[in-house]
Amino acid sequence: MLLFAAGKVLQTLMVLLIVSVVSFTLLKLAPGDPIQIMLGTENSPEAYASLMKQLGLDRPMVEQYFHWLKNFVTGDWGVSYVGKAPIFQYAFVEALPVTLTLAASALALSILIGVPLGVLSATRRGSGWDAITSVFTLTGTSFPSFYLGILLIWLFGVKLGLFPTMGFVAPWNDFWGGVAHMTLPAITLSIYFLAMIVRMTRANLIEVLEQPYIAAARARGEPNWRVVWVHGLRNILMPLVTILGLQLGALLQGAVLTETVFSLPGIGQMITNAVLNREYGIVQAGVMITACLFITTNLLVDLAYPYLDPRLRPR
Amino acid sequence: MVDHKSILEERVLGSINRRDLMRGLGAGTAVLATGLGSRSAHANGGGHIRLGWIDHVDTLDPHFTGFLGAVKIHNNIYNGLLKVEYDGKRVSFVPDLAQTWEIQDDKVHTFKLRPGVKFHDGTPCDAEAVKWSVERVWKGTPRSPHAWKYKELASVEVLDPLTVRLTFNKPYAFLPVALTGSTGRAGTIVSKAAVEKYGDKFGRNPVGTGPFKFVSWRENDAIVIEKNPDYFEKGLPKLDRATFLLMKEPSAAIAAMLSGQIDGLGDVPVQFVSQLRAQKNLQVYGEIEGNYVYVGMNCKRAPFDDMDLRRAVAFAINREVAIKQAFFGHAIPAYTPISPPMTDFYDPDVAKSGRGQSFDLAKAKEFRAKSKVKGTIEPLFLASESGLFGTRLVQSVLPMLAAIDTKPKIEVVERAAWIQRRNSGEWDLFDFTWWADLDPDETITPEFRTGEAWNYPGWSNKRFDELVNAAQDTLDVAKRKEYYTEACDILMNEAPIAIVSHMPVFKAFSQKVKDFKYIPVDSLNLHTVSLG
Repeated sequence: MLLFAAGKVLQTLMVLLIVSVVSFTLLKLAPGDPIQIMLGTENSPEAYASLMKQLGLDRPMVEQYFHWLKNFVTGDWGVSYVGKAPIFQYAFVEALPVTLTLAASALALSILIGVPLGVLSATRRGSGWDAITSVFTLTGTSFPSFYLGILLIWLFGVKLGLFPTMGFVAPWNDFWGGVAHMTLPAITLSIYFLAMIVRMTRANLIEVLEQPYIAAARARGEPNWRVVWVHGLRNILMPLVTILGLQLGALLQGAVLTETVFSLPGIGQMITNAVLNREYGIVQAGVMITACLFITTNLLVDLAYPYLDPRLRPR
Repeated sequence: MVDHKSILEERVLGSINRRDLMRGLGAGTAVLATGLGSRSAHANGGGHIRLGWIDHVDTLDPHFTGFLGAVKIHNNIYNGLLKVEYDGKRVSFVPDLAQTWEIQDDKVHTFKLRPGVKFHDGTPCDAEAVKWSVERVWKGTPRSPHAWKYKELASVEVLDPLTVRLTFNKPYAFLPVALTGSTGRAGTIVSKAAVEKYGDKFGRNPVGTGPFKFVSWRENDAIVIEKNPDYFEKGLPKLDRATFLLMKEPSAAIAAMLSGQIDGLGDVPVQFVSQLRAQKNLQVYGEIEGNYVYVGMNCKRAPFDDMDLRRAVAFAINREVAIKQAFFGHAIPAYTPISPPMTDFYDPDVAKSGRGQSFDLAKAKEFRAKSKVKGTIEPLFLASESGLFGTRLVQSVLPMLAAIDTKPKIEVVERAAWIQRRNSGEWDLFDFTWWADLDPDETITPEFRTGEAWNYPGWSNKRFDELVNAAQDTLDVAKRKEYYTEACDILMNEAPIAIVSHMPVFKAFSQKVKDFKYIPVDSLNLHTVSLG
């Protein structure tokens, strides 16, 4: 078991190292650098050279990477080139909670609504309800979330004035304010997953409900709700959790657009802006945090399997 | 004997129109005008204004910024030796931290400072502080991107605790504009103690003398400033607090404005102007400013090293149509780079004078036929989605160029790549805008003089260089106008650029925002503003 854990940690570190090298190299190879952007129209060769030197960007790329790596590992994440924003504070303390709140709200919304909808569709296969749900899920998976966000803003923010359309309020400081600010972004981000979960639940449940053990349960005279919600649902949790774990990347991608539309200062916006402004340090921090999130989630999914399926528990 | 001081005041002090803000002398009237509707217990105004900010803010250190979006905020935190004012017709420079400003034999500028002014950290803003700030820009390390503006400075001396003298190598008409890049606040003064305390992080911990003190800056989220109770203009500022909400998506900012979540927008993209103007509860500001939009042509390589081909392009662009398509009608055709706010130099009849460039397809075809470049060409048009109008101008211009057998291949790249490509000259055509200029010197000299860093088209003309150099050393307005008129005629005739338009720059506020003093230099000074 210890060996397993050690192997997992080692594997994680290797992945992080590779990710950091790749993102660092790709960004460095892209044309443009922060100084050119910083100087804007005030560009003069002397100012350029002076700032390059000051920021250490004139040194060889490999040296810059190892310099970054050493500092990063020792907890010195540095400051951004131009705005001098403390990167650890920015990425970890300010941006990460925003993205986590957004992702968690969207995920919760998708599961709480998606699973019951899927169950209802599966148990009433072919009914009008099922047809409506299919149309909804098809629209949901194919509708660009960016555009949906703008539509929601116009309807619920501008026309009806029901919800704020911008900014982040931490729910742990002001719960209802936080909920109000998170409602539209969470809906926007969740639609895709919601639709996906409905489809997954429906398809898997239909299959499960045809299994012999369901027939056995029914034969034992268990009430229908228990057959579906307990026996049925338990058996679709595995594929559901697997898909959710795998789709975390898509969730983070969606978060980028959602954060932009709703002006949420999260990781997604942070990375996009940093890439556009060639803030290598911030990009690296963002990529590392995202990679860690991804790895952690997949680890959690792995660890969850034995609980979801007794057959996988060690004997 | 000409009184140079009055000439300078008349012209530099007097003329231009740049994107930036001002505040100051109007304070007295504003106090009288307000009074009503203030919601705080303070005698005048109070309240917390929330402004949507889609502009990029790079740093709050005015000596190192490259962005107007940041300068607009700086002007609420810092003062300069001089500041810009606007009376509805003309923009002028008036003393700010300086009480008086005297000029001896064209080269020596003596500023007498206001007594008793303190920085937000409590240190005094005296002659030593001014000298230190000037030197920081002039020859500090790391080098300020604005250092070139002090190129002709010979010395800066402290005469007494409240008097500082700047001596230049030659007469320098452009000084008030040039003092720093901070449009509208010439020679921004920062706290030495704070710079020494925070080092390179001063840009995140700005300390000035202005009406507002810095509170916080959360990346991608908001910049907050609060009232400086010890501000030297009595009764100002009126607001208790201002928050600049950093938003990236313009349509989100517009939605926030329409739903009343914010009180104002520091910059309104032209496509939203009509929509905002239709709202009764909003006020929209925007006049033609000192700027020009152009399509640049690379004079250093084929095919646009051919002057007749460049002229063909210049005459082929239908400005009226381009303005409708790219700027939604919010612009006027440009004939030369001199914009209307530069009142001493702009020719109001330029449209009828036949000077400069304008749309004339017959002429364009004539030049195209004369050009050595035969047959259909496919030059590279470098474009970017960034900026106020993205690639709309490019799209609008393409069919016009097709009429002269020019079918550009467009390459759309993101901003950082675009900047590098532009600077390195790997393009045939590109479109660009120079913003917020106050004077012809800054609007054409560094842009088109031989070998200058901003001369992206790589154009060179000896006579043009002579004229703009001569104009720099001349204080006489009529004489300078003559120089600039001839220089612009040469420039337009040789056509390193096809000039397209001058643009207004828009801002919007809700009706409860009172006493905003508009200055057409893209400024957003909150000094006199209150919330009704």
